[in-house]
Amino acid sequence: MSNLAQDVAKLARIDLPDDEAEATQANLEKVLNYVQQLESVQLPDDIEPFFGAIESVNAIRVDQTQPSFAREEILSNAPDSDGQFYKVPQVFE
Amino acid sequence: MQIEQLSAAQIVKRISAGQLSAADCTQHFLDQIRGQNDDNGAFLATCDQQAIIDAQKIDSAIAAGKSLGPLAGLPIAVKDGICTAGVTTTAGSKMLSRFVPPYDATIVSRLQDAGAIVIGKTNMDEFAMGSSNENSAYYPAKNPWNHDHVPGGSSGGSATAVAARMAPVAIGSDTGGSIRQPASFCGITGLKPTYGRVSRYGLIAFASSLDQIGPMTHSAEDCALVMQTLAGHDGNDSTSAQVEVPDYMAAIDGPLKGLKVGICKQHFEEGLGDEVRKNVNDAIEVLKSLGASCVEIELPYTKYGIASYYVIAPCEASSNLSRFDGVRYTNRATAENLEEMYSKTRAEFFGEEVKKRILLGTHALSSGYYDAYYLKASRVRRMIKNDYDAAFESVDLIVGPTVPTTAFKFNQHAADPLAMYLADIYTVAANLSGVPAISVPCGFDSAGLPIGMQLQARRFDEATLLNAAHQYQTQTDWHQRSPQS
Repeated sequence: MSNLAQDVAKLARIDLPDDEAEATQANLEKVLNYVQQLESVQLPDDIEPFFGAIESVNAIRVDQTQPSFAREEILSNAPDSDGQFYKVPQVFE
Repeated sequence: MQIEQLSAAQIVKRISAGQLSAADCTQHFLDQIRGQNDDNGAFLATCDQQAIIDAQKIDSAIAAGKSLGPLAGLPIAVKDGICTAGVTTTAGSKMLSRFVPPYDATIVSRLQDAGAIVIGKTNMDEFAMGSSNENSAYYPAKNPWNHDHVPGGSSGGSATAVAARMAPVAIGSDTGGSIRQPASFCGITGLKPTYGRVSRYGLIAFASSLDQIGPMTHSAEDCALVMQTLAGHDGNDSTSAQVEVPDYMAAIDGPLKGLKVGICKQHFEEGLGDEVRKNVNDAIEVLKSLGASCVEIELPYTKYGIASYYVIAPCEASSNLSRFDGVRYTNRATAENLEEMYSKTRAEFFGEEVKKRILLGTHALSSGYYDAYYLKASRVRRMIKNDYDAAFESVDLIVGPTVPTTAFKFNQHAADPLAMYLADIYTVAANLSGVPAISVPCGFDSAGLPIGMQLQARRFDEATLLNAAHQYQTQTDWHQRSPQS
């Protein structure tokens, strides 16, 4: 039987063992129950959402090419690479 | 006076005048760290060799009579969620245990260009999610005033480092109170600048519409000194504002006569500790004695701040942290196929609180729930912003407690994490609305733990914040107390 925590964990790509699902669900519910209070907050109809703390104009810059980071420097942080690309487990059967 | 007791401004002055060698000064603070870090866990890493090399360069420049930057020789500790080229940057997470950034955050480059010496990386709650440092994947930093108590979070290592005199200045980041709450708990001064005032290029993102980098120091004067270097537009961060940066050091000296201060009554009601209330009220009297006039204001929607924050921040985090998937960043769990690699890596290397917030955010953004959670929370956020806009039509500053209590004990909130979330009740609204806010020490409770007062100002008006905080500190000595003394 799957619960909310397991459904969401699947979406979030976080492995959630069956024996932890209930405790995780309870933890999530504590917070969800608290934020539920937002539902009953009465707002004027014309209130737009505020998504960012400054509503500025687009920041634009001159479109100049610049050297990017060295490939080997970036790949040095990768768990696995062939020196050219990131390597991952097989994607297609 | 011992070097560790000097203010940042005094250190720079002495080094620039040739009265103190930058290398000796840096070595002194590295020794302070070495002597205390096993006990208080403030640092996750130190930059011993590079710091001495950098400091020697400053000394050579002085010997050669070259012109110096405004922070010449000043040792600085940097929160470990901020990228430092060539220096392991973990964000307090096992996910990044071996991550060595290929570049410096803009603020790190700016500090170094100004002559500052990065001496180490400070402890933090994993990916800045927490109010106690208990969520560090390594070890928690401890409150220097009492090691049984938390230093606050998420910038708890930075606060501990400054309070314990292991660094004269530390850099923190603040998403819901993560600079101000630990500053309050540890008895130091911490500034969350206006959203957009300081570049976040190189800050490992938690919640991008809320995160802001700022200074943590002993005094408002030192905050002003460091802010001068931190502030300003950065081409690498399109959310950094193209707004002129005033001369903060000049601004702090002005008189407070005529300053209008708003006091939000609801922030002094239920839930506020008696000793915190008394000390903050005493501090307000000091501001009045300096010429400020006080009026009552209302911020009716800020009572929904925590609820709104715990929808918005996890939503943004769930998106930001999707990049940690086992492909690019150092750690990967063993797996048969790609999807299993993602889910096992994230299960193994993220801590419990981080996973919880990713799940919350994923749920709140999932089909069928978006309107009820994220959209509603963002509309409430508009009302909170409108509250501030209305208040700042009649006042220049809003004053109140930073946190309802003093530092709590380790594990105190283990059974009820919501109680810990409420530690941010007075601080989150500044992040949601984008206004700048500072916490300054204003006393101690009967157990000897520090109390903080929060000042908030109009967007981009850090100058007024720093001015009021500095003038307050000319009349009080709370910010000069040390845990050892």
